[in-house]
Amino acid sequence: MNALIKAEFRRLLATRMWLWALLTAVVLGGGMVGLLTAVGPENFSPPMPGLETEEGVLSVFGMLGFTVFVPAALGTLAMTSEYRHRTATFTFLFAPQRWQVLTAKLVTFGVAGLVYGLVQTAGAGAGFFGALAARGVTPGLATGTVIELLLRLALTMAVYTLLGVAMGALIRNQIVALAVVIGYLYMGELILMMIPGVNLLYPLLPGGATASLTSFTYLADVLADELSTSPVSLLSPVGGGLLLAGYALVAAAVAVLVPMRRDVV
Amino acid sequence: MNQPNYRIEVTGLTKRFGPVTAVDSLSFSVEPGVITGFLGPNGAGKTTTMRMILGLVTPTAGTATIGGKRYGELRRPSEIVGAVLDASAFHPNHSARDHLRIYRTMGGHPAGRVEELLDRLGLAHAAHRKTRTFSTGMKQRLSLATALLGDPQVLLLDEPSNGLDPEGIAWLRRFLRELADEGRTVLVSSHVLSEVQQIVDDIVMIRRGTLVAAGPLREMERFRPSTVLVRSPDAEALKKVLLRGTSDGVAAQSVETGHDGALRVQGLATAQIADLASAARLRVHELLTEDTSLEQLFFELTADSEGDAR
Repeated sequence: MNALIKAEFRRLLATRMWLWALLTAVVLGGGMVGLLTAVGPENFSPPMPGLETEEGVLSVFGMLGFTVFVPAALGTLAMTSEYRHRTATFTFLFAPQRWQVLTAKLVTFGVAGLVYGLVQTAGAGAGFFGALAARGVTPGLATGTVIELLLRLALTMAVYTLLGVAMGALIRNQIVALAVVIGYLYMGELILMMIPGVNLLYPLLPGGATASLTSFTYLADVLADELSTSPVSLLSPVGGGLLLAGYALVAAAVAVLVPMRRDVV
Repeated sequence: MNQPNYRIEVTGLTKRFGPVTAVDSLSFSVEPGVITGFLGPNGAGKTTTMRMILGLVTPTAGTATIGGKRYGELRRPSEIVGAVLDASAFHPNHSARDHLRIYRTMGGHPAGRVEELLDRLGLAHAAHRKTRTFSTGMKQRLSLATALLGDPQVLLLDEPSNGLDPEGIAWLRRFLRELADEGRTVLVSSHVLSEVQQIVDDIVMIRRGTLVAAGPLREMERFRPSTVLVRSPDAEALKKVLLRGTSDGVAAQSVETGHDGALRVQGLATAQIADLASAARLRVHELLTEDTSLEQLFFELTADSEGDAR
């Protein structure tokens, strides 16, 4: 098992993808949060509470939640490239217990996703505090709380990487898998939310779990407003994190039981 | 070291893809220390059979074992079995060295193995190049290097000559012979008999997923009516002598006179023809066993099998 994990790290570092991923993390983290902080949520369209309020701070960092499709897509790419480039043949010859292959990938990309998340949130923290200092605004959230929030966001990225890997193992076709993962994160859940009744399930859907992990409930609140339902109550951050990890594990387990057992021809 | 006997044993192996039966109750064995040719026309089920032996395809029925164990039961399988299946199974942006290092690590093989194999397979100069820039021949050699990482006792190669130039094919033959001489089990599939005829010791021939013939190549050759070409200034007299035969009843089954005046004799070996000619004081200028009819046998045995599933 250790050999498999080591081999997966080698595979990950053999192309430049990791470099581009970290660059993306810095741009999305530092760049985006820095920019949003510099502009200020009160100047958004529609305007949101300012940075001197808790909601204002949360809304800036909450935007990072919309970038989870990046680590998810990276995980999906990594898994499906085994099938696309037919390396699965060699991989399953060297490791005939296919669940071990997936486990090694989950471990490797769990770590890689966490590194991605930490780089992104470190950038976000730097951008946030830098832009705040430049504007001379005192944030509506204590520094310790902000750091905790950033760590939760880093964890969110790691969990989404795992989800991406698991979905890749489940769907196998690279293009289809990417379309499903990105499509769901972008639109799928919003569409689901428009179905009466389904929106009650929102806390239990990946988006809702992400919201509880990132404490960014703006979207949920707006939806509740527009659909004139009572505001949904989200899970606790820990609950949301565990639920997301659970989705990844279920997808991985189904992948091991069905598509990964299929013939490699 | 007392080496276990890594023979491949295929028993009642069957694979159905939906309504198509690709492999049908196939049984044969592949012995160590020899090169076995796995022959059959395209679509006969060779690839599917090899992938079942390697645990990549699950059989509908039957078993395939290597040294008495199924592939999935082998501990550290890459130290026991190496296989070359796809013409290209590399990440296009990995270098040859990256690729080998990944699988070297996965199999837990010694670190020096990668450079050793790059050298041995003549890839050292291209080790840093991305695999997408590789020619088919280089890809074949990189596949072979991957298969050899664990110094396996058993080697399976699916159509390894595809994309190799004549020089590469000659090299591959020498290479496989060395491996077999070291006591390894070598199974090489091909749909072109002449390609493997010179190197294989045993053959397993299949058609439409069923066994047609299996055994040492020499014994196969005994089945066919061998033709001996005889040139003689006394051709007409010799023809009568050969048809009459010896006193104990050994005679030619047929003797035809070709348009070039040479005789084509069936049913007698060269030694018998020479002895008969000598006894009758007839001259023989040329005596030659024609070596083409194995291909004929292959066509006859595998005839009428186009258009099957793989």
